[in-house]
Amino acid sequence: MADKMSIMIVDDEKIIRESFLYWFEKYGHRVEAAASGMEALEKLEKSPFEVLFVDIKMPGMNGIELLGKVKEEYPDTTVIIITAYGSIETAVEAMKMGAADYLLKPFKPEQLSLVMEKVTQQRKLVSEYRYVKGRLEEFTRFENIIGQSPAMQEVFDLIPEVAQSDSSVLIMGETGTGKELVAKAIHAKSKRRHLPFIAINCGAIPDSLLESELFGHEKGAFTGATHPRKGFLEVVSGGTLFLDEIGEISPKMQVDLLRVLEEKKIIRIGERQAIDVDFRLISATRRDLEKEVAEGSFREDFFYRINVIMIRIPPLRQRKEDIPLLVEHFLQKYSRETVKQVDHISADAMRVLKAYDWPGNVRELENAIERAVVLSKARTLKREDFAFLRSPPEPVLKSRSLKEVEREHIQRILEDCDWNVTRASKVLGINRVTLHKMIKRHNLKRP
Amino acid sequence: MRSQKRRIAVVPLGEVPGIVPKSIAAHILGYLNVNAEVLSPLRHPDYAYDPRRLQYNAGAVLKALESHSFGRYEKVIGVLDVDLFVPIFTYVFGEAKQGGKYALVSLNRLRKGHGEGAFVPEPIYLERAAKVALHELGHLYDLHHCSDSRCLMHFSGGLEYLDRIPLYFCRYCSVFMRDALSRPRHRRSKG
Repeated sequence: MADKMSIMIVDDEKIIRESFLYWFEKYGHRVEAAASGMEALEKLEKSPFEVLFVDIKMPGMNGIELLGKVKEEYPDTTVIIITAYGSIETAVEAMKMGAADYLLKPFKPEQLSLVMEKVTQQRKLVSEYRYVKGRLEEFTRFENIIGQSPAMQEVFDLIPEVAQSDSSVLIMGETGTGKELVAKAIHAKSKRRHLPFIAINCGAIPDSLLESELFGHEKGAFTGATHPRKGFLEVVSGGTLFLDEIGEISPKMQVDLLRVLEEKKIIRIGERQAIDVDFRLISATRRDLEKEVAEGSFREDFFYRINVIMIRIPPLRQRKEDIPLLVEHFLQKYSRETVKQVDHISADAMRVLKAYDWPGNVRELENAIERAVVLSKARTLKREDFAFLRSPPEPVLKSRSLKEVEREHIQRILEDCDWNVTRASKVLGINRVTLHKMIKRHNLKRP
Repeated sequence: MRSQKRRIAVVPLGEVPGIVPKSIAAHILGYLNVNAEVLSPLRHPDYAYDPRRLQYNAGAVLKALESHSFGRYEKVIGVLDVDLFVPIFTYVFGEAKQGGKYALVSLNRLRKGHGEGAFVPEPIYLERAAKVALHELGHLYDLHHCSDSRCLMHFSGGLEYLDRIPLYFCRYCSVFMRDALSRPRHRRSKG
């Protein structure tokens, strides 16, 4: 039996819609009909359709307008234009805008059959291409690290090179940029990949506990040490140790770790015998350790020991071109996980996401998409679904006067309202005349 | 085993060569083991004539068939000698609503040979009519178009395709057809 497809017929003439419906029912396809472009868009928002047959001449939104909207919002949907008025110009325009084919009404039954055969073949090729591309990406890119910006390409280029050596790596980047993912990618590409990867967040563990966690202890070494225990430096044996938030560890711990890195030996707490250890150290921090070394708050010798190779991961606001790719990845991930058919994002919503500064970086973006998918009632995420994204208020500097703050605030509100004084005065809670006076007083001008 | 309780009506609409409905009925009996009876002709479908297209609207003819009482017949096949169309297509050889009760077979284009002005011999003409009738009957029993080009349910848009498909169902469609014919006959059709 032929592949069954989901098809929508968009035509204002009932008789044409019915003809198509009866015809496609004979193939067992899922067929629905819409009498207008608006109805078609509403249906598309509720459930996906693989193929749309769209009449060019319809009251309200015409077929070409609908084609434009469908190609913008649902680029995977194949659109076939149907028309009773054979105009070459319109057909060419439709094809340029992404229509897969066009049919002149009435057409021979075998013409429709041929078009459907072509569509099936095309969709099959696209799905095969995507499968092969996906498989290829599994080999060529680092799992879960996504980015096509030059800054991320540099990181991608560095990972396999770094993985070949055994030198210590320091990954620097703001919170949520994916430092641990990079560390895991280095481990996965290294010769130690079949051995453990152990990640410890130094900032989350008190110093005394961190010592015991890393070095292990003997029975009776301290109160509560009822059993001997191996530390992570021993457990990792041959693998990779990832110390996140390395900037948080105490100067004493810096000395202890420095010794381990130089001698490749550890002594458990309460023990005298040294044990040989073998591991590769990857550290990460969001702090500016170079500055702290200069200020004397971080040990210089330890810094150079852990920083043989440095990888800087740029914050998301500096690589906004990666946002669409990341959004697509998280949309797929969460529509799969939540079993909701939310697999599109409107151009408007994408603009909001690109305009936002993402202080929490990729992690914040991921959380935003997850939240929007969970709460969305439609198939497409819209601008309103991201209303919760608010830039944190900038700290008011003590040195600024009230007049300066007032001037900046009024200017920002005016820009937000596209210099519509009526709207801006409503937001500011003052009347229009007062706002005009203030604009004049502060000498504010529309850019 | 013959399905004794099922009856299919083959009804000429207007003037058609008498041998065609008889041949269709014989094929239904022979291929599906279901009784098929040829009824007296109904009026010529002039009510369905479209002067702009110079053809007959298949939807209007089906609607007219629905208004007749064919109580004892489970399915009805109307046979007519006019050129049929549906609004989206330039012509159709036959028409039936998926899972419905009424189907049409147009003989108008079935006589044509492969050359200009040529006609095919009568056995081929009768075979074509039987193919269209059994194909449409397949739709009435809810069989879909089949992707196997060696099956009667494969869509054939032109005469060359119609001549290429065989006069029998593929393995899968035979199973579906047998299954449909073994179901209790009192299930209501879609129309």
